[in-house]
Amino acid sequence: MMMGGGPAAHGLRQETSKPKNTAQTLGRLWSYFKHYWYLLLGVLVAVLLTSYIQVLTPDLTGQAVDCFITPATLKALAGNATSVLPGPTGGTGGLGQAGAPVGAGVAATLKSNCWFAKLDPAKATTSDYIAGLGRLVLLIAGLYVVGSLLNGLMFYLMSYAGQHVLRNMRVEVFKHIHRLSLGYFTRHEAGDVMTRITADADTLQQAISFPLVSVVQGVVIIVWVAATMLSQSVAYALVALAMVPFMFVATLWFSSQARKAFRNVRSSIGTVNASLQESLAGVREVQAFTREDENIRDFNQSSAAAREASIRAASYTSALGPSLQALGYISLALVAGVGGSVILSGGTLAGTTISLGLVIAFIQYSQRFNQPIQQISVMWTNIQSAIAGAERIFGLLDTLPEITDKPDAIEMPPIKGRVEFNHVYSEYEPGELVLKDVSLVAEPGQTVAIVGPTGAGKTTIINLIPRFYDVLKGSVTIDGIDVRDVTAASLRKQIGIVLQDSFLFSDTVLNNIRYGRPDATDEEVFTAARLARADQFIERLPQGYNTMLGERGSGLSQGQRQLISIARAALANPRILILDEATSSVDTRTERLIQKALEDLLKGRTSFVIAHRLSTIRNADQVLVLKDGEIIERGTHDSLMKQRGFYYKLYMSQFQVQEALGIDGDGREPAEEADKTVVGSK
Amino acid sequence: MVHQPTAQFASGRGGPGAGRPPRGKRGLQGQTPRSDPKMLMRAIRYLGRFKRLTLLTYGSLLVATFAQLVVPQLLQNLMDAVSRGFIAKQVLGLPAQFQALAAQALSKTMAQIQADQTGAQTTLTTAAIAMIVFAVVQAVFAFSQAYNAERVSQHIAFDFRNDLFAKIQRLSFSYHDRNQTGQLMIRATDDVEKVRMFVAQGLVMVVQAFILLISALALLFLTNVKLTLVILPILPVAFIVFMVFGSITQPLFMQVQIRVSRLNTILQENLAGLKVVKAFAREPEEQARFNTAADDLLWQQVRVARLFSFLFPIVFLIANMGQAALLYFGGSQIINGTLTIGQWQKFTIYLFFVFFPLGQLGFIINLMSQASASATRIYEILDAKNDVENKPGAIELKDVHGHVVFDNVTFRYFGSGEPVLDRVSFEALPGQTVALLGATGSGKTTIINLIPRFYDVTEGRVLIDGYDVRDVTIESLRSRIGIVLQETMLFSGTIRDNIAFGRRDATMDEVIAAAKAAAAHDFIMEFPQGYDTPVGERGTTLSGGQKQRIAIARALLMDPRILILDDSTSNVDFATEKMIQNALDKLMKGRTSFVIAQRISTVRNADQILVMDKGRIVARGRHEELIETSEIYAEICTSQLVGDADRDLLSSDEQVKEEVHL
Repeated sequence: MMMGGGPAAHGLRQETSKPKNTAQTLGRLWSYFKHYWYLLLGVLVAVLLTSYIQVLTPDLTGQAVDCFITPATLKALAGNATSVLPGPTGGTGGLGQAGAPVGAGVAATLKSNCWFAKLDPAKATTSDYIAGLGRLVLLIAGLYVVGSLLNGLMFYLMSYAGQHVLRNMRVEVFKHIHRLSLGYFTRHEAGDVMTRITADADTLQQAISFPLVSVVQGVVIIVWVAATMLSQSVAYALVALAMVPFMFVATLWFSSQARKAFRNVRSSIGTVNASLQESLAGVREVQAFTREDENIRDFNQSSAAAREASIRAASYTSALGPSLQALGYISLALVAGVGGSVILSGGTLAGTTISLGLVIAFIQYSQRFNQPIQQISVMWTNIQSAIAGAERIFGLLDTLPEITDKPDAIEMPPIKGRVEFNHVYSEYEPGELVLKDVSLVAEPGQTVAIVGPTGAGKTTIINLIPRFYDVLKGSVTIDGIDVRDVTAASLRKQIGIVLQDSFLFSDTVLNNIRYGRPDATDEEVFTAARLARADQFIERLPQGYNTMLGERGSGLSQGQRQLISIARAALANPRILILDEATSSVDTRTERLIQKALEDLLKGRTSFVIAHRLSTIRNADQVLVLKDGEIIERGTHDSLMKQRGFYYKLYMSQFQVQEALGIDGDGREPAEEADKTVVGSK
Repeated sequence: MVHQPTAQFASGRGGPGAGRPPRGKRGLQGQTPRSDPKMLMRAIRYLGRFKRLTLLTYGSLLVATFAQLVVPQLLQNLMDAVSRGFIAKQVLGLPAQFQALAAQALSKTMAQIQADQTGAQTTLTTAAIAMIVFAVVQAVFAFSQAYNAERVSQHIAFDFRNDLFAKIQRLSFSYHDRNQTGQLMIRATDDVEKVRMFVAQGLVMVVQAFILLISALALLFLTNVKLTLVILPILPVAFIVFMVFGSITQPLFMQVQIRVSRLNTILQENLAGLKVVKAFAREPEEQARFNTAADDLLWQQVRVARLFSFLFPIVFLIANMGQAALLYFGGSQIINGTLTIGQWQKFTIYLFFVFFPLGQLGFIINLMSQASASATRIYEILDAKNDVENKPGAIELKDVHGHVVFDNVTFRYFGSGEPVLDRVSFEALPGQTVALLGATGSGKTTIINLIPRFYDVTEGRVLIDGYDVRDVTIESLRSRIGIVLQETMLFSGTIRDNIAFGRRDATMDEVIAAAKAAAAHDFIMEFPQGYDTPVGERGTTLSGGQKQRIAIARALLMDPRILILDDSTSNVDFATEKMIQNALDKLMKGRTSFVIAQRISTVRNADQILVMDKGRIVARGRHEELIETSEIYAEICTSQLVGDADRDLLSSDEQVKEEVHL
């Protein structure tokens, strides 16, 4: 209420952002809301009715004064008055013999629109007036009850519609993420996208029902109350509204100052968090180098900066509430003071009669009026942030997917496994070629090893086969069919992929393996796990195959995660397999298991392997040596060694170091020796 | 205020503890929703540190509340003056013969009536002006109260943040083994903020609500006992409604939270694992999963909305019913002459003052329970016992020679469970190189962690130059030990800052000399900004090999007598590997060195090789002896040791460039 206590108005406390194009964003939001137009219509009706009640009750309170309380008071004062006064409002029994003129005067200062005022002052007793007052109060109480119900209905309908809209937006965003190509996520950090979506959905969530309705209702009430006051007395209404411009100015000024101040707060808190995160992540280093004292000193400095920035922001946020409150009291003083003076000095202000009841009504009006203003000042920032959030979400939805199925795309027929790259050019960023004129043919069942320095384009080659990206020039065909002519789903379903960083879902082990083929039976899952050599450790897990894995498969070692992802690919039983060998170290035993599992997995499938293990390369049917986006050498390991080119040099550099091992004394071929000592080749 | 996506930190970092115990068993991970009100009291006691500001806050609160309570009284004066003056004017407007009679009917003398009329305007004006003055006074002090409360709370938050930071920085490794970075971050940001919010707002609200409620009630009674008694029964009703409201909504919100996080998990997984989803063409299934979760959330939200929508207006309805009752009973009293219009208006406003604190009750309770839980968690850290601390009277370790002895050392994580080290004894003479070999979890890392006293032994002793490491100060011990970890963490700052990490006072020449010795100088100079190149979170990303050389330079600059190296190969190519190897050889010269060995050359040059298995030393000696005598050693040599970039064959530009020189 208007007499709100000191520490109210928390609205400015959060940092806010401003939308760029409010009208357009609101238009887009409306396109979601319009499906629920019937609910919104209900909300609108409820808003109007509740506002009407808000406007009506002060008037009724005024009537209580003018139609019952004042006449009855005057009558009571006169005791057993006998004189009768005329008057449309029932007037009063007058002050004894003095009744007539007093009554006339009183009559002039009373409201003329009494709803229940058909009491005859001559016959009406005090208890009649009280009974009349009682009827009026019952009406008011009834209106309050109806108003509450309508308020409830209003909030409920709005929430119902708002939550549905939010749900639809969430689902649409999620769907859109799937449509976006991987390229989008190389340009945008997945973590950032995640934070943005959740944070923006959250601000929308917070604004979409209660604040939105409150603001709409507030605006309606403000307008309506202002109009009512103006209709009753223009001059008096202007007095009551005199403080409104100041309220607006205060709200706008403090809000904008606070927004600016919070920008500083945000960045200084960001610094605090960054230093906190770093010192936590590197706590072992910090202790090893006995840097604790320096770090604490540094941290205290950035922490103090955050404190000062917050205090500066607080000077604005702390000022808005009290200012609005003071302005509210001032307008109360004005309404009562000016109204009272008018009554004392003759009863008219600029031609309108001011009655005691009108003063009382106006006091209530100005309360009804100030309350929404304070509320809006608090909620407004919420709504602005929400619109800005919606704008960002729409921005994401407007990102065009780079890879879409052609309208006439066909289902990929069962793949035999002949993969051909035909003069392929590819780029990530416009103008930055990653692949230049790459051509290759992999016959069904062949293993192709791709080697080369980081950034040579190895990953790009394997990403083009399941059409994660599109080629810039040239074509990628499978069994003679261009991958762009078939639906992505039918293509990818027949290609298996084992990534370097095995991504698992927070689900059971069973479901994680089954991810490759949802309709696989448990038996098939077990078989795949056996092939992947994952069965042994899975069976030792607390709940075996039904063990729940944590987020991203936490709870398993990296090697174990790799085994599961191999099982997943094995279950999918693809004709084409893409493998990005892990470079990170796992323990020797697991390494051997992985090695064997992969050998089994590759058997009989067309495979593309980004190879890090010598044994893989030696077993490959084709080795492609990639450099700066071009295939500079190709052949088998043996033929490449004979070429004595780039590959040979690399291989030999490997070998030269093997010599240093000091376990080369058994006279075997150096090449064999090298292989022997490489991890995982056993 | 700041929401950090915790998932980012949740994985923790692989530090120098390969054989580290499983996380979270005793840690904070299980996040007990425990909350101890005593801890909140302890936090509130921080106010005592800022007596002046606290006094200012509560002094302002008192003045503001007082001013607030005066305003309705002034309104009464004003309204009563109006009605008195109005009646007096009517009386004086009568023909003279009736005036006395009218006055008599009002039981007033003519003089009083005269005074009523002439005084009315003055009283009214005075009251109106006083109202404005008090409004301004109230605003000024309400601002002062809010602003100073914020200042106090920011100072308290500052203290908490710093205390937490200092504590976390000093807590031993075993504490960090148990607790995840992300969890600790939450303590320092979210929890501190919640406690701050309570101190800034909640506590002030409690005090204000209390004062307002009590004084408004008292004033109501003073004004009109009968009317107050009529209205009073509404209070407990309102109170009960609020309490019920609070207890019903809490679990509902919890459900919302659970469903939101379920939804976010799916989103998170689909973002992080997008390639897998696409590769297996599982988009439809994932979308179905997401839709189900979104619907679950939707209907829970609708349930909450239903409850809120109808409960919330009830709260206002009760207040409004109070006003309606006041209108009827107050009106009756006015008619009967026992209440004035002004008193009635005052009553109306005081009744708001009574209801207002009740309305805030739910908010306050919510704030308090959150703050209480947060304070409990904060004190969990601040009260945590540090396992490794300087013992009273610990001596400074001076002029270390580097004679390291493990005397029958047994180590168990958290002092219980299977021993990670089991009665290990060995001796390293000054300048010797000790190579540690063994499978993951065999205890290698534990040995190197015990030397700088990152952990304390469970049994036995670790001696340096004859001193038990527990008898010397940690600072003097660690400043003589250089450490190069497998995974090097760079801190945000320049390359120079990072090299001078352990010795901030090092001169530029010293830094450059260290970088040169570590074979880092050349690549550093290739950056346009050289040593001033910013690195770390927001700076240039260095490759694994470059980071490792910075780490070597960092250790070199310390000129330690004892050196600890985790030599495990990270993803570096051959050429870099070779450079690192050379740098390491230089580094180890003349220092007692402990190396977790991955390279065969290291092992061959070592003065002593300790072969570890399940926490015990199963073989020891030099390479030539062991290769003949120890089967385990031979096995490890062939399966674990590498000569160079093993698996990362042919995968670096640097290597290709370097190739020419070979």
